Amino acid sequence: MTPLRDVWRSIVRRDPLSTDKGKSELVFLNLWLHIHPAKVKRENFKLKHTWYLGFITFYLFLILVTTGVALMFYYRPDAPQSYQDMKDLQFVVYLGSFLRNMHRWSAHGMVICVFLHMCRVFYTGSYKAPRQFNWVIGVFLFLLTLGLSFTGYLLPWDQLAFWAITVGSNIGGYAPLVGPRLKELLLGGHAVGESALLRFYVLHVAVLPSTMILLTMVHFWRVRKDGGLSRPVWKLKPAAAGPLVRIGAPAPAEAALVVVPASQDKTYGLMEVVTGKPIFETVTAEEEEDTVFSYPYAFFREAIALMATVTSVMAISLFWQAPLEELANPAKTPNPAKAPWYFLGLQELVSHSALLGGVVVPALAVLGLLAIPYLDTNPSRRPADRKWAIRAFTLFVVVNVVLIIIGTLFRGPGWALVPPWVHVSGAE
Amino acid sequence: MPQFFFALSLIALVLMLGAVWQAAAPSWKKYQQEYHRLESLGEPNAAAKAAVLNTALDIRQELLPGLQRVDRCTTCHLGVEDPTMKNAPQPFTFHPNLAPHVVAKFGCTVCHGGQGLATDKVNAHGKVPFWPEPLLPKEYIRASCGRCHKEGDVPGVPELTEGRRLFEATGCRGCHKLNGVGGSIGKDLTEEGAVRRYPEWLERHFLDPNAVSPNSPMPNFHFTKEQARALTFYMLSLTNEQMGTYYSSVRLIPSAGYGRQLFTEKNCIACHSIGGVGAKAGPDLLGVAKAHSAGWLDEQLVNPQMLYPGSTMPAYDLETNARKALITFMAAATQEDAQTILSGRPKPLTAEEAAIEGGKQSFARFGCVGCHGLNLQGGVPNPNSQGGEVPSLLHASDDYTKDEVIKIIRNGKQPPLQDTSKPAPPLYMPSWKAVLNDEDINRIADYLWSLQSKKSGW
Amino acid sequence: MKRRSWLGWGTAGLVALWSAVGVSLGAVVRFLTPSVFYEPPQSFKIGNPADFSFGPPTFLAEEKIFVFRDREKGFAVASAVCTHLGCTVGYFQDDQRFHCPCHGSVFAGDGAVQHGPAPRPLEWFEVTLARDGQLRVDKDHVVPAAYRLMV
Repeated sequence: MTPLRDVWRSIVRRDPLSTDKGKSELVFLNLWLHIHPAKVKRENFKLKHTWYLGFITFYLFLILVTTGVALMFYYRPDAPQSYQDMKDLQFVVYLGSFLRNMHRWSAHGMVICVFLHMCRVFYTGSYKAPRQFNWVIGVFLFLLTLGLSFTGYLLPWDQLAFWAITVGSNIGGYAPLVGPRLKELLLGGHAVGESALLRFYVLHVAVLPSTMILLTMVHFWRVRKDGGLSRPVWKLKPAAAGPLVRIGAPAPAEAALVVVPASQDKTYGLMEVVTGKPIFETVTAEEEEDTVFSYPYAFFREAIALMATVTSVMAISLFWQAPLEELANPAKTPNPAKAPWYFLGLQELVSHSALLGGVVVPALAVLGLLAIPYLDTNPSRRPADRKWAIRAFTLFVVVNVVLIIIGTLFRGPGWALVPPWVHVSGAE
Repeated sequence: MPQFFFALSLIALVLMLGAVWQAAAPSWKKYQQEYHRLESLGEPNAAAKAAVLNTALDIRQELLPGLQRVDRCTTCHLGVEDPTMKNAPQPFTFHPNLAPHVVAKFGCTVCHGGQGLATDKVNAHGKVPFWPEPLLPKEYIRASCGRCHKEGDVPGVPELTEGRRLFEATGCRGCHKLNGVGGSIGKDLTEEGAVRRYPEWLERHFLDPNAVSPNSPMPNFHFTKEQARALTFYMLSLTNEQMGTYYSSVRLIPSAGYGRQLFTEKNCIACHSIGGVGAKAGPDLLGVAKAHSAGWLDEQLVNPQMLYPGSTMPAYDLETNARKALITFMAAATQEDAQTILSGRPKPLTAEEAAIEGGKQSFARFGCVGCHGLNLQGGVPNPNSQGGEVPSLLHASDDYTKDEVIKIIRNGKQPPLQDTSKPAPPLYMPSWKAVLNDEDINRIADYLWSLQSKKSGW
Repeated sequence: MKRRSWLGWGTAGLVALWSAVGVSLGAVVRFLTPSVFYEPPQSFKIGNPADFSFGPPTFLAEEKIFVFRDREKGFAVASAVCTHLGCTVGYFQDDQRFHCPCHGSVFAGDGAVQHGPAPRPLEWFEVTLARDGQLRVDKDHVVPAAYRLMV
């Protein structure tokens, strides 16, 4: 028994989890967990504060990586072989369609969740100092998610894929000066073809996911460094009166940079005092410190969120098949030909004005999103103090959603306005 | 909270088991078990029976790189090549008369249609959305012969030969492109058999184009039922699939019928006779197949100089199967054959007649007949043009000089509108100068003028 | 109370969770196991008996087999794959032996190793008469060298 115990001890070096030290060591002696603080604020994990949207987005990404790697075992980026591989997944590979369904639905889910996550961060004002740059990284992660979904869209090499990418890449081609060159770079030709398939595949399985992983790491790291999950600070009650420890005040005359309540069970060891402001979140009203150990409080909640995400995707995948249309045929354009749904807002705009939908709006949207934390210098996160910011963003979200709904459901053959409940005969 | 954890874990387990269960019982396994049960009935002893019953269940597939398909039909249709399954129920029934189109070389879907990669009935038979080639109804399966046998006649499929003839004779090419040649008013038909394999639709379309596609500019040619069927067969055979060399090398069937066609086309009767009927420049061919071996005749057709140096017979560039077809025809040819071939031969024409005849051929071949009719009568509806239909050409000389007509053929013409507020008529005279050279156009004008009937006599 | 519910529900939850993980792992192995093979089948028809001549064996390059036909003994099918490192052996009529071009292994007419590094004799495959009258070779069924099919 002893040697076995030695092996175990060599792997798990923490104290028993029944002790506070063990609970702390579980976090900071473990590579995978040490992004967490040893103790978290109970407030942060309230469902209503974040809806766990960031977590869910990340879990969907994990599902996508896992199922994606599995699918790679049966997929060749080679037209028209790719289409045959799809048919094989459907008809002969054990659980092939189930895994493909999971991959497909998670991809759609991730686009939705990453967008909802962004909305949540906006409405809670969580992009404000010191989190400005993490918002910027978040916007890039959103664009990467769209890029991953878009590149993956082509891979089945069916009519749906082929024409969605044809339309989608042509929207990009409207950009002045760089548009045509960009399109050529992306497609490896002037139209969607075999070289486009190979490029999209490499982007989809190597370039974009690795960038995504790197940026996600930075994103998480900064969440931690910028003061942890953001809380609705305006709701916090002032701390009960008690002795406060003032840290980092160079002179007594200056306001304390960090003021923490001196609590009984917490010790602060200051190695050295350096001057300068700390970067992490400072709270004007000293909040009530209601912290708990991450184990099990935070981990359990994260695990539940993970399991809920996985089971939901599995349930959807068991009952709804991912679409697979006819083999891609460049000579036969479906009517209407639609871009992937998340670009249909843009396609809708392009149908009115190519310049507006293809260039001005997407450029302004991305630049605008990136600039939000720097334009909105109002320091307050209290909703009552930022009515105009909230109105403007809500308008952006509503216009987006409405345009996408119109493009997805209300556009029939010839891009004519047709309600989804009216069947158009002769549409092929 | 722990209840919540338990519930989620249980849901995960149930879903996973559900997925596994869904994947574990594909319908083809039941068919294979039933087939092995049928097979075991014929086995003499218990041991052999048990061996058959215990055969491993697996997906069977024919890899057909030359046809660019993979057919898994034999996963369920297990008795296709087993004559003892002649009276077995479907999907196990034996396929009679299969040779030489054996399953290992041809698979099933190239003739029958359907989705070869699928492993369940509904998908395999292809009557599902997004599969353009559903299973062909029984009476149309023979149309698929034309997918490989693109030339000559195919024994047992007269519809195909007739369909090809009708297509050229009716001037379909005037509006429709086929393999890159033809007009652009109608749909390109090059892949018609691959993208729209719905024979009933096609057949109704040929009987009355407007019945299935309202407002179709295609005129009603008043085809008979048989003609519509023949054209449907031809349409179903049109694909531009790239067949492997194995399949394209046997596309000609060396039948006597094709031999007769070649014999007529190559004008053999101009030198040879059969039983004394015909010309005497070359030897009489009656019984030639008895006097010489097939190999000898074949060599003679490849290179007449080889066996008879100094022979005046030219070397015709004939494919192996074309030579075989000629030899097959010669083996059975009689004096009557020679008579019919001779009587069908055109009489020598004068230069003027030749020009008119050439014009007539061009008029049919380039599809003028599609709108203007085989007898120039016109009458094809053309909404919102003056008169509402394509004009007859029988009185062209009343309104135009010959030069004007030549100009119209060269440059095309938009028909004058009946009502300028309504959209332009669907049919118009296209410009032909890119398709026809001046000589062709002049000949067509000659042909038109040869048929002019004046409204008022002298 | 709280502790007890954790013991009961929590343990049951863990059991269910690990079962789900176990089923998933099994499923992954099944997923990776090929259901169809994109290679020549192991069991295939080689044609009618009359297609094969007596005398020297017929070599089928794609299938990598020799088909022997003997007037008295009937049909036998030998593998053309050397048991050493998988090169394709040739049959030489003059000494009636199989020679491997790669490392000089020599097999007698019955497949026995006579020379060279080959560790095992050449394999002989079962050949049967299918119901449509064609010969069927099954590479999954190795038979003794003396196996013959009389037609």
